Amino acid sequence: MPLTLEAIRALLVTTFYYGAAVGCLFFTLVIVSLMISQTSDLPKARRRGSPVHLLVVLGSGGHTAEMIAILERHFNFSVYTYRTYVVSSGDALSAQKAVDFEAFMAGKNNSPKENHDYTVVTIPRARRVHQSYLTAPFSTLQCFWACLLVLLGRHPEQHPLPAEYKSSLPDIILANGPAVAVCMMLAAKSLRFLIFCFKWTRTQDPDSEIPKLRTVYIESWARVRRLSMSGRILLPVADRFLVQWAPLAGLRAWWGMRPTIFCGWVVI
Amino acid sequence: MAVKLCFVTVGATASFEGLIRAVLQDSFVAELERHGFTRLLIQHGKGGQELFDAYRAEYESGKKRHGLEVGGFDLCPDMTPYVSMVRKDEANFQELGMMISHAGTGSILDALRASVPLVIVPNPDLADNHQQELAEELAGQGYAIIGKLDDLPSVVAKATNYGERAPYFRRENEKPFAVMSDELSWTED
Repeated sequence: MPLTLEAIRALLVTTFYYGAAVGCLFFTLVIVSLMISQTSDLPKARRRGSPVHLLVVLGSGGHTAEMIAILERHFNFSVYTYRTYVVSSGDALSAQKAVDFEAFMAGKNNSPKENHDYTVVTIPRARRVHQSYLTAPFSTLQCFWACLLVLLGRHPEQHPLPAEYKSSLPDIILANGPAVAVCMMLAAKSLRFLIFCFKWTRTQDPDSEIPKLRTVYIESWARVRRLSMSGRILLPVADRFLVQWAPLAGLRAWWGMRPTIFCGWVVI
Repeated sequence: MAVKLCFVTVGATASFEGLIRAVLQDSFVAELERHGFTRLLIQHGKGGQELFDAYRAEYESGKKRHGLEVGGFDLCPDMTPYVSMVRKDEANFQELGMMISHAGTGSILDALRASVPLVIVPNPDLADNHQQELAEELAGQGYAIIGKLDDLPSVVAKATNYGERAPYFRRENEKPFAVMSDELSWTED
């Protein structure tokens, strides 16, 4: 039956070409939006003294220790008034470190009341150690979904934010190497893309000009001459990319993108 | 009498029996003693327990003779108390000692924060690891000495002459803060 065969072939060829066209379009859209997102200037819209919600991604052992050291040395909690710590499931040690750190900071400021200005949320791992690469995409999707829920404030472990926070979206996201950081920053970028696309549906609200979900990535201190895997993926994604060693300064994803910034040893 | 400590860490993730064997060698212990060390403390991890126990048994049977106190433990989540025992502290009768690290980030940072002489011995079984690059870069900038397993006694003299390094000078550390502020984009008034 040559006719049907011919028809099937024609159908396959057309599908292939349409698929390729849609793929190319999608690819271009991603590249262009990443470029616009990383290079455009922010409107200076945040009033001084307004509350700031900081989201911190904690990884395992070394990553967590570095992150806590950075927060302890460089962050003023009178500016970052609310903190959400994200840890991977099965990493009770990191969760405990976040709680201990908050207690330590509260003690340092002699705050009399109990500290309600932070939460610790646990999300599934992108890929467990020794997990097969066959099932890894599914657990990565699961992790991505959990990240979206956390960013929207819908994760079951989250408490409602105090009333002075007009939006449940974190203002700024800080991460250093773990795989969860990749999921979290990609989720933040996707959300920002959606918010941008549906901006016209909202009536003129001056607060919608205030930047949200900004992403700052600090490459691990242990990375001296080459970026980590997470770092390489996030180089075109993160709004700011800080490195602690001079050989990594000035790297960028491709022409026209924002280069990495050398910031010295922030963990010491 | 003042204490002068050599503190050795192998970390938690991978066992590093080569380093334990090297620091328990008679030639290394003798070199420590010659440079006035009084204590050798080894964080040996699970993998080094057997080696350490064997050494202890040998010592107790009287086969080893030296004036050094040798101690060991498996693992401890916070090593900073041990690291501070390496520091010079006259009030606590401590002389400046040295630290030998397996090139794990945590222990290197602990040593740099305490500014004690640091010897890094990268694990050859974990070759092509970013820790090797870190060790080389630190050694190049004078923050540490790289030790080799087959010639460990030679680092004792180097570390003793190394002295108390100036703490890391915070040159550009204001940057993360400025970058975060940029991203929050406060109004100018």
